[in-house]
Order: sequence, then structure tokens, then C-alpha cells
Amino acid sequence: MPDPVDAPGLSELPLDDLVACHECDLLMRKPKLALGEKAQCPRCGYELYAHRHNVVERSLALVIAALLLYVPANFLPIMQLNLLGQSSEDTVWSGVQGLFDTGMEGVAVVVFLCSMGIPLLKLICQLLVLLSIRWDIGRSYGLLLYRIYHHLRDWGMLEVYLMGVLVAIVKLADMASITVGLGLVCFISLLLVQVWLEVVMSPHQIWQALSGEDIHAGD
Amino acid sequence: MRAIEAGILICTECHELNRQETDSEEQTCTRCGAMVHPRRPNSILRTWALLLTAAILYIPANVLPIMTVSSLGQGDPSTIMSGVIQLVQHGMFPIAAVVFVASILVPTFKLVGIALLLFSVQRHQPLSARQRIIMYRFIEFIGRWSMLDIFVIAILVAVVNFGRLASIEANLGAVAFASVVILTMLAAVTFDPRLIWDNTESDDDHE
Repeated sequence: MPDPVDAPGLSELPLDDLVACHECDLLMRKPKLALGEKAQCPRCGYELYAHRHNVVERSLALVIAALLLYVPANFLPIMQLNLLGQSSEDTVWSGVQGLFDTGMEGVAVVVFLCSMGIPLLKLICQLLVLLSIRWDIGRSYGLLLYRIYHHLRDWGMLEVYLMGVLVAIVKLADMASITVGLGLVCFISLLLVQVWLEVVMSPHQIWQALSGEDIHAGD
Repeated sequence: MRAIEAGILICTECHELNRQETDSEEQTCTRCGAMVHPRRPNSILRTWALLLTAAILYIPANVLPIMTVSSLGQGDPSTIMSGVIQLVQHGMFPIAAVVFVASILVPTFKLVGIALLLFSVQRHQPLSARQRIIMYRFIEFIGRWSMLDIFVIAILVAVVNFGRLASIEANLGAVAFASVVILTMLAAVTFDPRLIWDNTESDDDHE
């Protein structure tokens, strides 16, 4: 735990030796972290930053895995429904189309953004940021993209969508016979990889590596 | 000691510390180039505005039907609450509970919770900083789950598509409901959590 200091000299220390909590504005001396450790704010408990090893390589592997899963997760059938000899398929994309065709354009756009558009944009931003660190090109664009990523973060809702699939399956179960499709497996894998990626890709180290303050921050 | 008292501003985007420049009104972060402010400008006012809009839309969201299930030519419009009641009548209690929590409890709790947060920050009452920060984090975390019903509708509309035999279409209530969820999420984003600690410099708030 970092110690909060009330010493009057605190504000004169160089900024590199200080850290302030993003959620409660408490100013502290910056603790040195070993690999795998993380620092929390002593007042409100917010995670200040973590120090993980091989951040860039591990994140790159996960981003690429997620991008490969993205297409089958969204365009392969999540489930098939059979009713009196007729069958229909559902993919994430067909849900968006269905809403759009019945005149609910606004809701269709929201569903599209939360379940497909923003998750894809997030992954692309992360990929470009990591490549920019790895190949040492276009750092200023990297900074901009990583800012965009942080704004998009809350609006990708894959896990909520998965819950929606479960609720829909239960609702339909006694009305017709349902077969779960390969798309659902891909969708769950995509969700898991993405959660893992958010844990591995520690923002503090990425910001440092992007701004060139510490060349080995991402190692 | 708060960073603001030491003349240090935290960038809201990359969390870099910046020394406050006294002469300039608009300051950008030295690392990422985002605008830095001691506190988000007009945070309380903007949050109130978003919250009130959400509260007004909350009424049509609950009163208007969100979808119509038609089978064999007969239409059966359902609202959010009637969807939950239907699930209970079919004996699907766990799913009914999930939908009830996500679509009714969470939006209501968010509207009341954000209003309470704003009120207690403005009046320095009636919650302690610790209670407020727990509430803020809970609201921030839970908000997205209200989208559940919208996703369920999207899936049902796509999959139940058998022409006259059975089909489902979305209604206006869904638009209002989606707007409520988005507005309350925006309200949680515009609220600056540092305000929670600004007027509570008492001893029990430092451990």
C-alpha cells in the first residue's frame, strides 16, 4: 500500500515520485512495484496500477485470438428453432437486421453498437496500440487510439448479450425445439478472451510505453 | 492531502499528473493531450440534466408495450412487467428473477441512487463518503446489465419469424427503455467521483 503523506513538502516533490488516486484525488508517494504486484488507494480502495510482465506480447496474442473469433461469433448461428416443421436461425447480425426491418431503426443501431460495433472497434484500437508500441511507429496516433479505447470501454456489452441469449433460450424452450449452434461457442470464447485481455493489458504500463517514458514498461 | 490542493491535476483519461498552470484556462495533458480540469466541468449540472431526462422517459418505458407476440393472427403486446409476470406464470422463477432485477430493479435503483449521490454531494448529507463511493461503484458496474431486455427482444425478433404462424415485433416501449439505460449510463460517466471526497475531509475518511 502506498502511504498518503500530509507533509507540506509533498507538493514540491517531482511529479514522477507522486501518484494521485483517479477516483478520490488523494495524493501519495509512488510505490515501487515488483512484477505481479498492484497498488491500491488506501482511502477508497481503487486500483491505482498494476505491474505485469510481458504485457505487450501476451496482449497481442489475445487480441489476435479475439479478432479471429469475432467473425464466427457474430455470423454463425447462435441457435436454431424448429416449429411445426419450419426452422429459423439466429445470429447476432440477424437480430440487428430483424429489428431494423420491423421499423425499430434506433434500437437496431443500439444493439448493433453494443454487441458488434463497439467490441470490434475496441479490439482494433487495442491491436493498433500494441503494434505501435511493438514496432515503435506512430506513437501519437497510438495515444489517440488508446484514449478512444478508454471512452468505448463501458459500451461493449458482450456479457450482457450472452445473458440475453440464455433468457431467450429459456423463454422459447417450451414453445419450440431449440438447437444450440456453433456461433454460441465462438461467442462465449470471444467473451472469455476479451475479459482475459482486459486483465492482462494493464493501462498504466501501456500509457508509459506509448509515451516513451519507460521503454521497458511493456516487457 | 488532495492533489488539487497541491496544484496537481490528474488527467481523466491517462491518469498522468500535471502541474496546474495558473495563467491558462484550457490546459492539456502533457502525456496524452486530453483536456485536464481540476474537476469535470459542470459535472453536477450535467448529471442532473441527464438524470431528469431519463426519469421522464422511464414512464413510457414501463407503460408502453416493448414487444408484440403474434401467433395465428392474434397479437399479444407485452410490457416489461407483464413479461416478468408471464415468466412467473410459466414457473420459470430464476429467469424471471434475473429479468426483474435487470429491467425493473436496476433502472429504478440507478435513478434513485444517482439522485441521492448528487443530493448528498450538494448538501454534504446524508451519506458518508464510504457509503457514497460504494454506491457509485455499484451504479457504474450494474448499469450495463439493464440492456438485457433489449438484447432479448433482438434475439426473439430474429428467431421467431414464421410469418402468420408466429412472429414477434418490437414496439415503442423498447425505444424509451433503451434511451433510459443509455442516459443513466451517461449520467454515471459525467458524474465526477472526486466530488464525493471533496467535502468530507474528516478523520474517519482517512484510514
